[in-house]
Amino acid sequence: MSQISSDVIRGYNDTIILYILMEAPSYGYEISKKIKGISDEKYVIKETTLYSAFTRMEKNGYIESFVAEPDSSGNGKKRTYYRITDRGKEYYKTKCEEWEITKEVIQKFIRGE
Amino acid sequence: METIRNYLETMFANMPNTPEVKRAKDELLQMMEDKYNELIAEGVNENAAVGTVISEFGNLDELAESLGLEKEVDEVNNRQENVNRRFVSMDEVKAYLSHMTKSAIFVSVGVMLCIISVIFPIIGDISSVVSEGLSVGLMFLSIAIAVGLFVFNGIISGEWTYLRREPCQIDMATAEYVKDRLRNFRPISAILLSVGVLLCAFCWVPVAAIQNEYMTVSLFLMVGFGVMLIIYSSMISKGMARILGLNDTTTISGTYSDGANVEYTSKTAEVIMSVYWPTITCIYLCVSFLTFAWYITWIIWPIAAVLHKIFGTAWAKEV
Repeated sequence: MSQISSDVIRGYNDTIILYILMEAPSYGYEISKKIKGISDEKYVIKETTLYSAFTRMEKNGYIESFVAEPDSSGNGKKRTYYRITDRGKEYYKTKCEEWEITKEVIQKFIRGE
Repeated sequence: METIRNYLETMFANMPNTPEVKRAKDELLQMMEDKYNELIAEGVNENAAVGTVISEFGNLDELAESLGLEKEVDEVNNRQENVNRRFVSMDEVKAYLSHMTKSAIFVSVGVMLCIISVIFPIIGDISSVVSEGLSVGLMFLSIAIAVGLFVFNGIISGEWTYLRREPCQIDMATAEYVKDRLRNFRPISAILLSVGVLLCAFCWVPVAAIQNEYMTVSLFLMVGFGVMLIIYSSMISKGMARILGLNDTTTISGTYSDGANVEYTSKTAEVIMSVYWPTITCIYLCVSFLTFAWYITWIIWPIAAVLHKIFGTAWAKEV
């Protein structure tokens, strides 16, 4: 079985992360677990990729980080959480549109044998 | 979990200590720890969990971009490419360590034979049973065996000279293995060293306590065995330290020696420090044998230790 290529997916890591943050603020490992789950274990995001995306998007103002004190549900650990900003939501929308076009274009060149 | 922490530590070994880097390291560790804990909770065994976490970690190049550290990572990569390091596999390391154990036996027994060879003429002198010819013959025989051992050791050590001459590197797993062995050897080494030093330091006691001509022989036997133990234990430790010291700061997988390889400011200092302990041993033995004041000459050791510390600190290069 062919594996997903990190080159192809690179441009859409941000989109994937933003999708998860649209639901609720979350932290590193939880996000990576959700990505794995939603993709039916076909995409396992690397820790370095994830962290790079966080810093990049925070710089661009798409997400904000905050430190959450340990609560009853967490494992009693202080964690950095990320939440999506309004700019992030807008960016997500444009990326979705971009993907629709990309998909449409690429599909024209795919021969389903 | 310790392995994961070490892995991250070595990955970041060449990074500058900026707040961004610190934060990246903390966050990455947190993610890896979460993943590790969950795998363990799912019943995955420890080794497999560590393997999964490390294989899914990713690579530094990607981080460099977002941390603004492209230059540093490039530098590390370039250095890595410039120096073509010979990769020493786990099996080679194991073979080298068992060679060092053999080599340690040959050298330490050889030195011991040299030291105790003098007891034969002493016995010949005081005993009427052993003839002078036989006693001198035995002395040369033990020296000959010692020389034989040294030569043989030199020959079998030949194939390992590349560890010293060529730039080499080892991987994480090998380093962990050697570190573990070194940790296990430490208590044994401590016992061997202290028994060895005690034998040397108190070799005059039987002579002083029991008025018997043959007691001089015991003095040499004690020094001989003491020196043998010291050499044996330090050679084995040195072998392991050499393996751990193969990687230096330019190796991308990081450096593993725990400060054992001190660099000195000048060539002279380096030379002095490398012959320091043999010289002290020599001085100790010479002074003791010349003055026969064994009850006090041990004082050389604590003084030498203090001086060693002072010289070491004064000449060590700031890293």
